Amino acid sequence: MIITDLLGARVLGPDFLGFVSDVRFWLDTKTIGQPAQLYGIVVSPHARSSSLGYERSGVRSPWPIAALVRWRHRGSFLVRWDDIERLDVRRINLRSGFTKVSSQLP
Amino acid sequence: MTTGSADQGSRFLDAQLHLLDRQVLDVAGIPVAVVDDLELSDVPAGGELPVDTPPPVITALLSGPVLGTRIFGGRPPKSRRHRTPWTAVSKVGVVISLAIPGETTDLTWTERWVRDHVIARIPGGRHDPERKQNDGSTSKGGGS
Repeated sequence: MIITDLLGARVLGPDFLGFVSDVRFWLDTKTIGQPAQLYGIVVSPHARSSSLGYERSGVRSPWPIAALVRWRHRGSFLVRWDDIERLDVRRINLRSGFTKVSSQLP
Repeated sequence: MTTGSADQGSRFLDAQLHLLDRQVLDVAGIPVAVVDDLELSDVPAGGELPVDTPPPVITALLSGPVLGTRIFGGRPPKSRRHRTPWTAVSKVGVVISLAIPGETTDLTWTERWVRDHVIARIPGGRHDPERKQNDGSTSKGGGS
């Protein structure tokens, strides 16, 4: 599997929830050579495109672009790997009772 | 592995934000590629994932001709994508640094091929330029 199979995929749970706008990995930096494992997918209800870095909570400039990007990605959320039930080409199904987590990066 | 963030023991990486389209430097700091895609370990596709299925991990950085497929869709054939194993990555920051020389990867095969088959056949193409002893001396007093 390659990452472009996931980016832009439709997310259903069972109703349509949005598109995968990014894929988040978790990297253990304590020791050298650790793999980066998939932590979850960022689901955007309105846009397939990237958040251009504005998912970082401290980035708010230049404000017109920040406002536009935040508006396009309004309602975005993160779904952890454990809540993914099925992976198909360009389509991802979530388990019933999945949990929405804030997609913002610290 | 070190990252560009503070020493917190772990770090989140967003594929589009932190990895895709980043410059890749080899151990000598020489640019060797740009990350066009990421290869993930296999996940059972097309079926329901059992609970507690281990998450996939990044196995390699992929580089290759993707301009056409980004415009028109699809993906380049697997044979045209060059793999850099994730285990060779030493640092993820503004750029992605490798712990190996670029010569040992497939990323620079075109440069090596041109060097060996074209540049090397040009007279003087097999060694560095030599500096002459009288370099820097200039003739004074223009002729009339």
